Amino acid sequence: MTAPANAAVRCDGVVQIYKTREIEVVALRDIDLVVEDGESVALLGPSGAGKSTLLWLLAGLLRPSAGRLWLGGAEVGRLGPRALDRLRAAQIGVVMQNPARNLIPYASAAQNVAFAQRAVRRRARRPAGELLERVGLTSVRDRPAGLLSGGEQQRLAVAIALANRPRLLLADEPTSQLDAESGRAVVELIKEMGPTSVVVTHDPRVSEAMSRTVTIRDGRIGAEGRDGEDFVVIGREGAVQLPPEYHELLPPGSMARVEPLRDGVILRRAGE
Amino acid sequence: MTLRGLWRRRWLSLALLVVAAVTVAAASLGPLYAQAARAAVLRDALDTAPPDHRGWRVTSVRGDAADLARRVSAPYLRPPVPGAELLSPDPRGKKTYPLMWQEGQCGHVTLLRGRCPRSAMEIMVTRASGFRVGADVKLTSITTREDGEERLVPLRVVGIYRADPGDPFWFGRNLFPQTAGVSEGNGDPLLTVPETQARSGLPTGASAADAAAGNAWTGYAIVYTDPRVIGGGDLAGLESAHARLAGMGRSGDAVTVFTHMDDTLTRIRRQTDSLSVPVTLVTLQLVALGWLLLFLTVRDLVAARAPETALARLRGLSTARVWAFGLSEPVVLLLAALPLGLAAAWAVAARLAGEFLRADVPVTLDGPTALYGPAAVAGGLLAAAAAAWSAITRPVVEQWRRTPRARRRTWIPEAVVLALTGVGLVELLAGGPISGSAGQNTGALLAPGLLAVAFALLARRLLPLACAALFRLTRSHGGIAPFLAVRQIARGSATGSTVIVLGAGLGLAVFAVAAWSVTSRNFAEVARVHNGAETVFVVRAGDAATLRRVSAGIPGSAPVVRMPGPPVMLATDPARFAAVALWRPSYAGGRALEDLTPRLTAPVAPRVPLIGDRIRARLAVGDIPHGWTIVLFASVRVPGQDRPSVLPLARPEHGRMVYEWGLPPACRTGTCELRGLRVQSTPTGTSDFEHPPGDLGVVGLDVRRDGRWAALDAGLTDRARWRPAVAGQAGLVLSMSPWAGAAGGAGAAVPATFPDPLPALTSGTPGNRKLPGLDDAFASGYVPAVPAAAVPGLDAAGGVVDIELADRAAYGYSDKAEFEIWAAPSRAGAVLAGLRAAGVPVLATRTTAGLRTGYASEGPGLALILLVVAAGAAALLALGRAVLALYAAARRRTLELAALEAAGARAGPLRRSLLIEQAVTLTWAGLTGVLAGVTAARVALPRVPEFAEPPLTPALAYTIVPGPVVLVAAAALAACLVAAAATAELLLRGVRVERLREAPA
Repeated sequence: MTAPANAAVRCDGVVQIYKTREIEVVALRDIDLVVEDGESVALLGPSGAGKSTLLWLLAGLLRPSAGRLWLGGAEVGRLGPRALDRLRAAQIGVVMQNPARNLIPYASAAQNVAFAQRAVRRRARRPAGELLERVGLTSVRDRPAGLLSGGEQQRLAVAIALANRPRLLLADEPTSQLDAESGRAVVELIKEMGPTSVVVTHDPRVSEAMSRTVTIRDGRIGAEGRDGEDFVVIGREGAVQLPPEYHELLPPGSMARVEPLRDGVILRRAGE
Repeated sequence: MTLRGLWRRRWLSLALLVVAAVTVAAASLGPLYAQAARAAVLRDALDTAPPDHRGWRVTSVRGDAADLARRVSAPYLRPPVPGAELLSPDPRGKKTYPLMWQEGQCGHVTLLRGRCPRSAMEIMVTRASGFRVGADVKLTSITTREDGEERLVPLRVVGIYRADPGDPFWFGRNLFPQTAGVSEGNGDPLLTVPETQARSGLPTGASAADAAAGNAWTGYAIVYTDPRVIGGGDLAGLESAHARLAGMGRSGDAVTVFTHMDDTLTRIRRQTDSLSVPVTLVTLQLVALGWLLLFLTVRDLVAARAPETALARLRGLSTARVWAFGLSEPVVLLLAALPLGLAAAWAVAARLAGEFLRADVPVTLDGPTALYGPAAVAGGLLAAAAAAWSAITRPVVEQWRRTPRARRRTWIPEAVVLALTGVGLVELLAGGPISGSAGQNTGALLAPGLLAVAFALLARRLLPLACAALFRLTRSHGGIAPFLAVRQIARGSATGSTVIVLGAGLGLAVFAVAAWSVTSRNFAEVARVHNGAETVFVVRAGDAATLRRVSAGIPGSAPVVRMPGPPVMLATDPARFAAVALWRPSYAGGRALEDLTPRLTAPVAPRVPLIGDRIRARLAVGDIPHGWTIVLFASVRVPGQDRPSVLPLARPEHGRMVYEWGLPPACRTGTCELRGLRVQSTPTGTSDFEHPPGDLGVVGLDVRRDGRWAALDAGLTDRARWRPAVAGQAGLVLSMSPWAGAAGGAGAAVPATFPDPLPALTSGTPGNRKLPGLDDAFASGYVPAVPAAAVPGLDAAGGVVDIELADRAAYGYSDKAEFEIWAAPSRAGAVLAGLRAAGVPVLATRTTAGLRTGYASEGPGLALILLVVAAGAAALLALGRAVLALYAAARRRTLELAALEAAGARAGPLRRSLLIEQAVTLTWAGLTGVLAGVTAARVALPRVPEFAEPPLTPALAYTIVPGPVVLVAAAALAACLVAAAATAELLLRGVRVERLREAPA
């Protein structure tokens, strides 16, 4: 199986397991996901659901414990460390949660951009001045990044992520520490400058701005939203995760009767 | 960007810079200082050596000696001083004169009359030669052939000179016998010019035999070392130069090389070797500790940059770029530390050299010594790479998630260290004192440092276990503070490096302090014993009576005559000796010296003085069979001689009673002493051995003085006054039989004016050895009246005897006898004033303080100073590093503390928890260091040389002096606790609940 030529990301039964000294934790299980070129996807879900893990997989920072993952046509599991580095440098831009973690605090804004561009050829780089102007940081280009405001740091983080003209932009809670206005500016920036983007967020304003939402619960993709409508996703073994708002009707652990319809099924609480 | 990063982490960067600079300094200081100390040893040895011990005299009867000498050149060898010499008798054959020239001779003589010779056949002579200016001197070897006839060529005296025989210019040769008044056919040199040699017509290319016979000139060249320019690294070159020069002398009979340079080089080599061992010991351990500190500090710096390194990897930088980025800051700091460390090492070495070495010794950073600094930096780079490895290779996600990593096999390097420690200890315990810094001794040299690290490693393992054992107790007792503290310590990660660094650093410091205190005590004790008194004045040689009289007039002084051994003999007034000598009752089973010295005296017979010009014996001569010749000899002690005069007093004949003989001239004005009578029986071919001669009775002895005979009180009838007891009513009865001993008689007897063996306060076992006696005749034995572990004034086995008895036992005073006046503690000034008042010139003064300084200036002493200075700095660094590490570890936990605070824990228990944690860790590390240092000192000190030449007595003590060790340990622990309290307080002030918002996802 190969990734479609126009898919920026394709996950096929991806499983991710973290191993610590004593225990193993399954962070993701049977993730099937395709992100087409130009698409913008919001990853939703409660804390600990596996959103960041999926993002790190998409960033090529992890190799799937099982399943297959294609990034821009390249299967991550088959790439060596150097190839992964090149892939990350040239095709993927990452904005991490907490803007300060994206930056070298004592380096200036321009130096931070230049630092991210060290790994790619000159012609692949976006001019730093143009980039900083685009994110509105020209006036502070020589100020140490640690001294910028939260909004400025986040915009700089986005600029850095876009510095090498990536094919895929990944962002983890890009507005979590920003006020509403700064958050909106960052989202607009991602939408405007980002090619294909996958954004982890709890912020409804961000998810609404994305063309598609993917909700992850307990390491599985539970729902997708397109054009303002949410759908549950039927898993590989027919598993369906009921959205939390229906838990009152069908509490976890309760029995349900499945009634088939011509175009689907109905779940009814057992005993009624 | 690198510089900005360094500034952002300025305190950590500064810590790394200081640690690196100190490591470089520690690595360079030892070699720099050792090089300067070697130069000082070399220069001192060459400066104080006699001329023939610091140079060579190359003589050649064929080639040009100066040319030969020039073949060996070095900056520290002065240009050869050429000369030539012709030994030739005068025509009457009464004296043999060296006719010689030596380049520069006019600058080394004092002209009394006339001038220096300028032309051929001109000479200058000494006044003792008796020649006058203008006189012609003829020598049998200086001839010319005229009209087929060999004629002597006169040498014209143009000047009269006086030369200082001690001037090194003459190479220490005994060239001036006439001036010294000991001429026995040898005249003083006739100094001339090289042209005389050219015109003398004597052949060159002769043999050594020709030169000795006066038929050829002997060319020579004197080569001196130049102590002003010789450096510490020139010893090998000097040895090589000596080998080459000495080798010329073994090449054939035409070249001879005179030198005692071997002795000097041996002495220097012994000194420098004794310097190398401790310096190597110090340097290796300090560098090892420095590397350990570097590793830990670099690890901190790299860890502080871990988020940036992770960012670099996130951005897809290649592995090489990530390494370059991760190591850029440590590398910059290490490179900056190199010149700083070298400069610091140079400054400290210069200061130490100025303080403890001679003033003209340069501290130079030459090629080999400059390499130690880069070597230390290279070690630091390796440490940086090792420290960075984990941060750079750790997956980025693990970095972000702070996933605990699988436990690494840290027991492997620890096992290696422990194994090396074991090997070093075995080497140390199995071997004797360490004498070289190479080969298998290396393991032993490292043992103290390894021991400190091994103790620290074990302590690091034990501390978490001990705390884990307290878990149950802290669950139910003591509140949350000890509960949190023991759990945090038991985790081990925060405390491990602190225990290792502080334990090892403090261990080394305690070892250094213990070594210093033990060695200082040994220096003081050896100086006490070897000097004998606090101050010793060496005075002009004379006789025992004069010395005693001088001392008797000066309170707080004692007369001592020292005879070098072995065995060494000190002759003194016992009572005054007891009052002045530095004594410890422990030397002799807790007894005071005043109680012991009376045992040095003994009842003796009065002396038998002889003052006059003739001695007469009245004999009762028994039967002397035909064929036997009998001679009665009298041994007489004569003033001014150190050997007896033996007088053939009588050739006894049967029936004749009175015999007389002349006394030595000195007995007319001075007091001679009868020291023995001896019969010599000589058989002839017709002797009847079946009937040997009978007894000879010495009935009376008389001495003639001013023409009158007076009876001598020789106690001839008193059995107690002669040894063996052959005196009786019939006088002294000696056997004339050659088998007198077998028949129970005696052929000789001596006045029992002294006991034999002499009672002595002894150090060492006398066995059958004889004391040298004041006359260096080794005639008298000695018996330990009081055996002692150490005896004041004895630097080797020997004994202290009563000066009166020693004087009675001797025939005179040897040139080797050193006459001394000892001063009691704090009486030196008064004694010196007394000596001046008595008109006694003081030739030299020796003090215990001076001896101590001398020991401290020897190789081991100098190295010890280095050890103390460097180990102190290292311990301070270790303490600083330990506090930093604790602070850094605790700071990483501020999140936990903030969470605890958010959960309702109050600041007080948290503060106590941190304090307990840090105090326990630091105290544990401190105690480990003390234990490690004391153990290392106990194991290593007896094997590490303290003296360039180990003293034979007293026995050196290696028990640790507790005071300094306790002081250092207490100071270190106090500093630790203060630092712990300060860091705990600082940390708690930084704990804020808001910090929780910065937690990673």
